[in-house]
Amino acid sequence: MALDLQIVKRTVGFLLKAVLLAIFVFPFLWMISTSLQTFEETMAFPPTWIPSWPQWINFVEAMNAGPFLVYARNSVIITFTIIVLQLLVMIPAAYAFAKYRFVGSKLMFGAVLLAFMIPGQVTFIPVYLMLAEWGWIKTLLPQIVPFMSNAFGIFLLRQYFMQIPQELIESARLDNASEFKIIRKLMIPMSMPALATIALFSFVSHWNDYFWPLVMTDSVSVRPLTMGIAMLRETEGISNWHIIMAGNVVLVVPILIVYLFASKQIVKAFVYSGIK
Amino acid sequence: MFKTKFAGIALAATLVTGMLAGCSGGPSNESAGETSPNATTPSNTAPAGKTTIQFWHSLGGKNGEYINAMIERFNKSQDKIEVVGTFQGSYDETVTKLQQAIAAKTGPDVTMLERAYVQMFADSDVLEDLTPYLKTSGMSENDFTAGLMGHSKFDNKLVSLPFNRSTPILHVNKTMLDEKGLSIPKTWDELKQVANALVIKENGEYKRYGYAMPYDTWYPIAMISQAKGKFFNDAGTSLGFDEAIGTKVFGFLKDLQSTGALYYPPQQDSGNIVNQMFLSGKIGMMFQSTGVIGSLKSNAKFEYVTAFLPMDQVYATPTGGANVSILADSKNKQAAWEFVHWAMTDPNGAQQFILDSGYLPFTKKMVESQPMKDLWAKEPNRKTAYDQLEYAIDTNKHVAWPQVMQEFFSAIQAIMYDNKPIEPTLATFKKETERLLSGK
Repeated sequence: MALDLQIVKRTVGFLLKAVLLAIFVFPFLWMISTSLQTFEETMAFPPTWIPSWPQWINFVEAMNAGPFLVYARNSVIITFTIIVLQLLVMIPAAYAFAKYRFVGSKLMFGAVLLAFMIPGQVTFIPVYLMLAEWGWIKTLLPQIVPFMSNAFGIFLLRQYFMQIPQELIESARLDNASEFKIIRKLMIPMSMPALATIALFSFVSHWNDYFWPLVMTDSVSVRPLTMGIAMLRETEGISNWHIIMAGNVVLVVPILIVYLFASKQIVKAFVYSGIK
Repeated sequence: MFKTKFAGIALAATLVTGMLAGCSGGPSNESAGETSPNATTPSNTAPAGKTTIQFWHSLGGKNGEYINAMIERFNKSQDKIEVVGTFQGSYDETVTKLQQAIAAKTGPDVTMLERAYVQMFADSDVLEDLTPYLKTSGMSENDFTAGLMGHSKFDNKLVSLPFNRSTPILHVNKTMLDEKGLSIPKTWDELKQVANALVIKENGEYKRYGYAMPYDTWYPIAMISQAKGKFFNDAGTSLGFDEAIGTKVFGFLKDLQSTGALYYPPQQDSGNIVNQMFLSGKIGMMFQSTGVIGSLKSNAKFEYVTAFLPMDQVYATPTGGANVSILADSKNKQAAWEFVHWAMTDPNGAQQFILDSGYLPFTKKMVESQPMKDLWAKEPNRKTAYDQLEYAIDTNKHVAWPQVMQEFFSAIQAIMYDNKPIEPTLATFKKETERLLSGK
């Protein structure tokens, strides 16, 4: 009887997961399918699920529809600069918040949390006006500088650092290790899963960001891939969905690759923090 | 204890200096390296000695390619001005971008502006009056197609000129009508008969509908003016159509919707949905922009023709699409005008763009030009759209139109989707409109 219950539980769990997976995977598969269809197939009603002959040419057409090398380069520069800067700011900050008590530490951490809670939609107009006044709109800076510090990352990393036993740090100090050496040799290696998670989240959100560049850019030379793909839409007339979807596939491939490498670390990060 | 405290402050300080260093160092180096490769992207930086004109537009996809080609032709035609065209998204997105850019003084010199938004910008005095430019270039308002000048003059200032203009039109699957021995409807009554005759219903499910239209304010407005109503009254204080006309228009739509003669599509992506249904024979006719004639023609597997929107009391159609304006804040207005003037008059300018894209010719010269005549001889579908301009009338002109439009959308939703009774819904809409028009 107990065994039966076990089986029922597993089956239900499996079914729920399968349904959930289907919900998440369906649009993704449809995107891939559409990216390989002909225009006639995208127009067909009821919809075509599997293209009769994969149209790889769609990818060539999508990439030739605009300066996609420029868009791709911008996306890479923006995303990686942001991640590097965020790590530079985040690690010492999280260490300080986790392991020191200093005047105003609580207040400062409160400020970090506050920054975490204010959505960008509230501040984007004043930020835009300020950056426009500084003459930054024709550069990549407006897409990088506002994201240099990652409040969510500082918060997450602080929690992670707090789990690292104080004794380890004390013994390192006894061995005359400088604070920066402690960070480098102790804190960073011990929190790789958390760092990988934060970096990946940051990567995905900035790589996919559409709203911020939509507001902050008004010329081709500073626009990222997301904007380039949105520009494949027809404003009047019939949109070439097969071309747009080919562009979208190109957009998500780097995310899949990065996730493939980082997924183990992410699972670790959540498993570890779950145990403690 | 002191040591840890100190180290803490030191770390917090590195945090701050790190931010500052990042500010001046890293990313700005990136962006310094940024400027040189820009030259490789099409038309981005002007060679020395040239005046650069920023031109914002809302044309993506194929039409975007056509406008880029036009800009390229201008840049090659002379060596003093370099026009940089930038696609800023849909008409609405372009308007939003303009609003923020004008406020931040980073706006373009020339912009495309969806015609219904012109008045809002004109009212804020941010558009240049083109009257003197027109005069010095030996042009006059009479050079333009009269039906397309409805959104150009406000407070006696000529603030925009037509560019990529379109109208709604009736698109017909003639093969389908012929099968049933039906002729193309010219009046609402005929539309009702033909649309009902096309319906195929099997087991309580519609296999084919009569006709469709995208979810838009454009088509109800067209019908209101066909019933001899105006959207706003002349004083601009209230709606210009009475209860009888409102009930007639929406009553007609609901009546046809109830028998499957009208398929009213869901909001999201409604234009693409009706196009798809039309191409795959799920509907026999549709009200839709002239902007899709080109794509329909190349994809229809049946005899595809266009016709005037059917009349009630009169033939009537609103216009759509966008105009171009020069911004009052521009530092290079003369150069900007040279570009606009070239586009308006040179056969390689907007004329070629219109031949390519299928938008309506907007100057009398374009209409009379040989290439346009040749095109019309080959594709009479496009001529129908131009001929219909004789009945063009835009009655939804008001500074507050963008807000009223939102309310009208709500009323359309309530009636078409939620089956709310027509009269009270329109009465509420009227009240809301009067409030918005009074500026309260």
